[in-house]
Amino acid sequence: MAKKDVTKPISLDPRGGRPRDKCETHIEGIDRILNGGVPIGNIVLLAGTVGSGKTTLAMEFLINGAKAGETCCYISVTEPSSKMLSNLQTYGFFDESLVKEGKLNIFDLTVINDRLGVERLDGTYTSKDMEALLGAFEDIVDELGVTRLVIDSITAVCYQLPDRGSIRNFIFRLSQFLSTFGCTTLLISETVVDSNTQTYSIFGVEEAVADGVVLMGNIIRQGDLLRSLQVVKMRGTKHSRARHLIELTPVGLAVVPLLKWGQDGGQAFT
Amino acid sequence: MSIKDTAQSIIKSINDGDTLTTVSLGAQNFHSDSVKIASVLLSKKLGGIYVTTSRPSSHIVNELEEAKADLSDLYFVDLVSMTVGGTTGDPRTLYVESPTMLESILLNISLLERRLKSKRRFVMFDSVNGLSIYSEPKVLREFINVLGNSMRIREIYSMLLTVKEQTDEDLGSALKLLSDKVIGD
Repeated sequence: MAKKDVTKPISLDPRGGRPRDKCETHIEGIDRILNGGVPIGNIVLLAGTVGSGKTTLAMEFLINGAKAGETCCYISVTEPSSKMLSNLQTYGFFDESLVKEGKLNIFDLTVINDRLGVERLDGTYTSKDMEALLGAFEDIVDELGVTRLVIDSITAVCYQLPDRGSIRNFIFRLSQFLSTFGCTTLLISETVVDSNTQTYSIFGVEEAVADGVVLMGNIIRQGDLLRSLQVVKMRGTKHSRARHLIELTPVGLAVVPLLKWGQDGGQAFT
Repeated sequence: MSIKDTAQSIIKSINDGDTLTTVSLGAQNFHSDSVKIASVLLSKKLGGIYVTTSRPSSHIVNELEEAKADLSDLYFVDLVSMTVGGTTGDPRTLYVESPTMLESILLNISLLERRLKSKRRFVMFDSVNGLSIYSEPKVLREFINVLGNSMRIREIYSMLLTVKEQTDEDLGSALKLLSDKVIGD
C-alpha cells in the first residue's frame, strides 16, 4: 500500500487559496469576526435600524484609519457636518487634530450638490446629475488619496434617484471606481423592521451590488435594548455569521458574541 | 469550612496553577466572607477585578477600606448601582446598565484587564446567584459556561462565588463540571 504524503499540512481555512489584503477596522472584536478586517477596496453596506450604532461604528472605522496615517473621508447626507463634528467631540476615541491634519475629511452632500448645481426642487437626480455626483466622489477620492470612505446614508442618496435601475447603476459605478482606487467604503443603509424581519435596505437593490453586508439592530431582552451586529456577507474573506453584541465603551466600540439562549422568547429584533 | 480555611484553599489553588474555581459560601456571612477573600488576595500582591451582582461596588469598597486592604490594583464591574440609582462615578468601576446585559460583563472584564498592573491577577464573581434573579436558568448556565471558558483563555485566576443555600443541584453540577476545583463544598 502506497504511503500518503503527510508532509504537506492541510489548510484549516475551507476556502483555501491566498487571502486578500485587509483593511483593519481596529474596532475591538470586529477584525476577529472578519478574519483580519474588510478586504481592501470592498464596498460594504452597513445596514441598521435607528439607534443601532451605524454612524458611531463608521466614524470609529474612519478615525482608526486616520490615526494609522490613512486619509479618510465622511460624506454626510442627512445632517450638517458641523453637527457631526460636535457629536464627535463626545467620543473618547476622537482626536480633533486628525481633522486639522487632513487625515479625517468631512463633507456635506448638500454643499457638493450646490457646487455641482444638481440640487433639484423635486429632489430627484437626472442621469446628468448622477454622472456629476459620481465624478465629484471620484475627484475627492483621487485627489485626497482617500483609502477609507463612508457615505451616511446611501439610503438618502437613493431616495433622490428615479428608479431601482438607477440605484443599481449608481452603486455599481461607485463600487467600480472605489475598488480601482483601493478605497474601502461603508455605505450606511437605514432599515426598518417589518413583522420581526429586518431588511438590508429600503430599496432592496443595494445589498446585491455591495461586496459586504453588515447588519446592525436593536434586540429587546426583558425590556432592555441591546445593540447587535452580524456580518451577513463579505466577499474576499471568510467571516463569522454569528450575531454579536456591540457596545460603546470608554475606548470605543467593542463586540462580543451574543448569548444563544438569550436570543429567542423575550428577545426580539426591533 | 472556616473563611480562613477557604482563603487558604484559594491560595493553594492559585499556587497549584488552577484557573477557575467555584467558591461556595454560606448565606449567613456571605458578604463579609467575600470581602475577606478579596482582602487576603490583595494582601498577597495580586491585582484583581471584582464583579458584583448582588450589592453596589461602593459598599464593597467601603468594607475593603475598613479592612485596610490595598485597593490600588482592584477594579470593579458593577451590575447593581445603575439599576438601583446608586452612585456611578467611581473611576475604578465600570457600570453595567442592567443585569440582563450579561455579555457586557465579559466585555468590561476584558477592558479592565488592560488596567491591571500586577502580574498575578484574579477575577472574583460575586455572585452567580445574584444573576439568577434576572436570568432564566438556561441563559445563566450558558453565560457561566462562556464566562468560565473565557476566563480560562485569559489565564486569570477566576472565582465564581455561590451562595450555598441558593445553589440547586443543576447549577451546582454545571459549576463543578466547569471548575478546576470547588472550594467550601
